Amino acid sequence: MHEIINIFVKSIFVDNMVFAYFLGMCSYLAVSKTVDTSVGLGAAVIFVLGITVPVNYLLNEYILKAGALSWLDPAFAKVDLSFLSFIIFIAIIAAIVQLVEMVVEKFSPSLYNSLGIFLPLIAVNCAILGGSLFMQERDYQSIGQATAFGLGSGVGWFLAIVAIAAIREKIRYSNVPPALRGIGITFILTGLMGIAFMSFLGIKL
Amino acid sequence: MYTNRYIFTYAAVLVIVAAALLSLAAMLLKPFQERNIAIEKMRGILTSAQVTEANANNAIPLFNKYITEELVLDPQGNVVNTYTQSPKEDAPAFKIDLKKQYYNKSQNKPYKLPLYIAQKDGKRIYIIPMRGTGLWGPIWGNIALTSDFKTVVGVFFDDKSETPGLGGEIAKPKFQKQFIGKTIFDDGGKFTSVEVVKGGVQKLPASMQIHGVDAISGGTITSKGVDAMLRNVLKSYLPYIKKNR
Amino acid sequence: MQTEKTEREALFSPKNIKLLTGPLNMNNPITVQVLGICSALAVTAKLKPAIVMSLAVMVVTGFSNLVVSFLRNGIPPRIRIIVQLVVVATLVILVDQLLKAFVFDVSKQLSVFVGLIITNCIIMGRLEAFAMANKPWPAFLDGIGNGLGYGLILITVAFFRELFGSGTLFNYQVIPQSLYNAGYVNNGMMILPPMALITVGVIIWVQRYYNRSLIEK
Repeated sequence: MHEIINIFVKSIFVDNMVFAYFLGMCSYLAVSKTVDTSVGLGAAVIFVLGITVPVNYLLNEYILKAGALSWLDPAFAKVDLSFLSFIIFIAIIAAIVQLVEMVVEKFSPSLYNSLGIFLPLIAVNCAILGGSLFMQERDYQSIGQATAFGLGSGVGWFLAIVAIAAIREKIRYSNVPPALRGIGITFILTGLMGIAFMSFLGIKL
Repeated sequence: MYTNRYIFTYAAVLVIVAAALLSLAAMLLKPFQERNIAIEKMRGILTSAQVTEANANNAIPLFNKYITEELVLDPQGNVVNTYTQSPKEDAPAFKIDLKKQYYNKSQNKPYKLPLYIAQKDGKRIYIIPMRGTGLWGPIWGNIALTSDFKTVVGVFFDDKSETPGLGGEIAKPKFQKQFIGKTIFDDGGKFTSVEVVKGGVQKLPASMQIHGVDAISGGTITSKGVDAMLRNVLKSYLPYIKKNR
Repeated sequence: MQTEKTEREALFSPKNIKLLTGPLNMNNPITVQVLGICSALAVTAKLKPAIVMSLAVMVVTGFSNLVVSFLRNGIPPRIRIIVQLVVVATLVILVDQLLKAFVFDVSKQLSVFVGLIITNCIIMGRLEAFAMANKPWPAFLDGIGNGLGYGLILITVAFFRELFGSGTLFNYQVIPQSLYNAGYVNNGMMILPPMALITVGVIIWVQRYYNRSLIEK
């Protein structure tokens, strides 16, 4: 339990997807013009990361990893399918995004109206695939840890995009040098926020 | 314009072609990749034993030349497997996944520890592989000890993702050279490990300076990780050391 | 998009050359189209991984454009995205396997970022915008061009970060020891991830200062 909370908090503040690894920058830059839309996209990212990371964890544990197939038959202990992990992960992500979209549309039209348009964008968001790849690389020991990591990374991404959107709403009234307007200043702002987030480095609960 | 049948056939053919291509590539390249991983491990072990000429091309022959025994230990310090045959890379000790063993240890489950013994310039050198956590991810390495298990012959560290130029400096010879000649036991035989001291080893009392090295400035957390790794790993080997000293 | 011409075009006609050079400046994927930053910046603390990463991306953009352009008339529109993803993912896995087999030390540094080339928006963007509507050869050039434009920014960022952060280039000391003796210290800040973003911000600033037409609003 202790370890799970640690992973959760760490993935929000220390290993922040945006500030430490620059993942999901494309949609981060494109959708952060207003706070409202960024809240929608951020929520969708939390949602999808919270589902795809544990699902891909199970796949990795029981199908892809070296020797993972031995639960089927001890003879498979030498099979190593990890070279397929990229393609399986991205396929799972695309399928889950599609599934989530259909389920949400069916059962909660109001949620669909606020989240729906962002879901297709998410399938090719690097933060989502990055979540699964980091999960694989860090070799989490239980599904609880993997879920905590997925949700934590999502929350971290949410915080980052909402914060930058709020700043961008304000900065419209500032006198930014013409050549820096738009994405230039957004890059620099993100960098400065990243420096602020670095003060969390090394925290352990 | 496109029938469902066409779409399904198209998808099926595409997937089969892609899968065939990938499996072929994986099969062809696997030996190279595994060899790279083994060489990397051997280089680490050799470097810690101060076989400085080790590089990617000669690691395998050098490893077979210098390493004489590869042991597997249980938590009580008993030897459960001794391997002296060739090739050395087939030893059970060489195939142990350290990460898993230390995870088992933290969960109070049974675990196994590898230990390598090298013969260099007529001296026996004991090499202990290590694994720990730095700032961003895992760090690992080896520490080579003299046959009385007291003095450090050399160390080797590497990392996956420490900040290059800061924490990543642990993988540089400049940091690793400091460990040579330090001792992990004091004169009374008490375990001291080698402390990685922030702000420099001169901060320690004079009698302790033989058990300390300078931390990396700007790489505090990685340095702490190295310190913790040395302490934890060496502690796990204390039962064996006590029996064989 | 351009219509297909009946007469044969020279392999390196001015129009094709433009496909290669356009993305270097006026149409740069990172600073102008704002695509593909995700997998880029975490590998720019040193020049060597940045160069390998650029090459990997260039290979993937070039060949995925080529393959998709060959397939473009047969791809059913409904599964278009999946087909593209499969092509890209296959190429990325191949690149990753090759890196692991032949340049192991660099592949260790790139770690998951090779896999993230799959979701690099440049690739999907170019497939959708160019390869689906053009012949293989121009599509290939377009892919290589965009890979080059991406690499240019990556390498520039890595150059400044390594020079000021570690005082080295390709791990060779370039800032003379006498300067250190005179009190110069490496700027450790440059090595930290956030400075990559700020460096790109400054590159955008410089580029738009000289290229007024790119200024927003």
